[in-house]
Amino acid sequence: MLREEYNPEQPLIMHIDLNSCFATVEQQARPQLRDRPVAVVNRRTESTAIVTASYEAKAHGIGVGMKVKEALKLCPGLAILESDPPKYRYVYHKMLGIMKDYSAHITMKSIDEGIIDFTQTSEAIRSRGLADIGMEIKHRLKSEIGCAMRCNVGIAPNRFLAKTAAGLHKPDGLDEITHENLRATLATLKLTDLTGIASRNEKRLNSVGIYTPIQFLDADTVTLKKIVFKSVVGEWWHQRLRGYEVDDVARTMKTVGRQYVLESHSLPRPVILQRLHHLCESVGGRMRSQGKVARGVFVYAKSYDYGYWHARHMNEVPFFSNQAIYAQAALLFAGAPSGKLKEIGVTCYELEDGLGDQLSLFGDQLAREQQVTSAIDEINQRFGERAIHAAHTLAKGAFLQPKIPFGSTRYL
Amino acid sequence: MNDEIFLNERVVVEVLFEEGLNICRPLRFRRPNGREVEVTELGLRHPSNNGLKTMHIFDVTDGGTDYRLEFDSERLTWYLTREADHYAA
Repeated sequence: MLREEYNPEQPLIMHIDLNSCFATVEQQARPQLRDRPVAVVNRRTESTAIVTASYEAKAHGIGVGMKVKEALKLCPGLAILESDPPKYRYVYHKMLGIMKDYSAHITMKSIDEGIIDFTQTSEAIRSRGLADIGMEIKHRLKSEIGCAMRCNVGIAPNRFLAKTAAGLHKPDGLDEITHENLRATLATLKLTDLTGIASRNEKRLNSVGIYTPIQFLDADTVTLKKIVFKSVVGEWWHQRLRGYEVDDVARTMKTVGRQYVLESHSLPRPVILQRLHHLCESVGGRMRSQGKVARGVFVYAKSYDYGYWHARHMNEVPFFSNQAIYAQAALLFAGAPSGKLKEIGVTCYELEDGLGDQLSLFGDQLAREQQVTSAIDEINQRFGERAIHAAHTLAKGAFLQPKIPFGSTRYL
Repeated sequence: MNDEIFLNERVVVEVLFEEGLNICRPLRFRRPNGREVEVTELGLRHPSNNGLKTMHIFDVTDGGTDYRLEFDSERLTWYLTREADHYAA
């Protein structure tokens, strides 16, 4: 049922966001970098893109995705650091531990942001007031991780508005959006300040005369559903903006993939195939760590001359081993355009749980492959990643270091 | 850019084990060249796992230079693995 009034319920959703997370953690770990512009990259080369910039770097106009070369032009004193996943993973688990002290209903949206749902917590906790709890969490981050740690806290009746509130006063804010200040708060924002509204959706909204979040809020459902979003998404936006929950949806794992920007555009094809093989090993490990098998492989390449190329293949029988993934990926990759490549990627899709019960003509072979793969995974868990791997990818570890995936906390 | 130096120096470390949030805190360490470094702040301590083996990483500073000390919990050895005393100004 669509509701026109703003949600008058007590705000019980708290969004916690460690903005510029990796850079903040680096500044915490390295005191000489505090108050200085810092950028974190996945590989220390001039052509690599920045993964996180500190607030001091952002003040120079440096942002996520900018090439290091361009960033150094804007700020020659920029300290460039290579990402250090164990460090960020540690901070993530500390933050998660703190959040779990307040509610059993925690959703981590990514490595640096999470949601605490207080709707089912005890009256004793709720009666303290969420603003008070938010201040306590900020204090605990500083005392339990380090004095340079800062976070934004947003409180609202639903997840969307809580995230919006968390973005109001970066880098150390605490804001609450209720039905009483909803209009006044949205009036201070641009359309693209709203999570989920980027340039494409902005254009759609502009096409019906919606230029501000207030106009968006006042838009009727029919316009949003039939004209702007042309689907039920329009109704979701109508409810979301009014503070009703539409985003509390568990997301299932549909694909697992990894991509790699080649360290040089003049790499010969056999070397690129080694990198592809290494990607397949990484994807296979991640997939099996979640107890999944796949039926499809998708491979892409970005070329300097031919742009984007991709190919995919669906298998009748599910597969799971690194060798099986690479065999299919390499076959597909044979059709990749010749010439200079700058990026490659491989994704497994049509994921299923385990091996399933379906009997196959290759049952014995599959069982043997599963046993060998499980044994290798166990050895790697005991003695470290890549203790055993394909000879083809020997000594290639330096190029494809494990990195923190964005938007997923599955592998943390 | 960052003028970080990667090292693999075995060091002698004086450590304080105490109660509280930082239960293990390096106080000073001596490098193979005999130079002693007084730790003024522990920036962050975090574990790093390689299989079942855990290394404890201590990012510390003497007030002018940042250092990374690594404690191998299996062999009970300390190594100085990074030094960064000249971040680009």
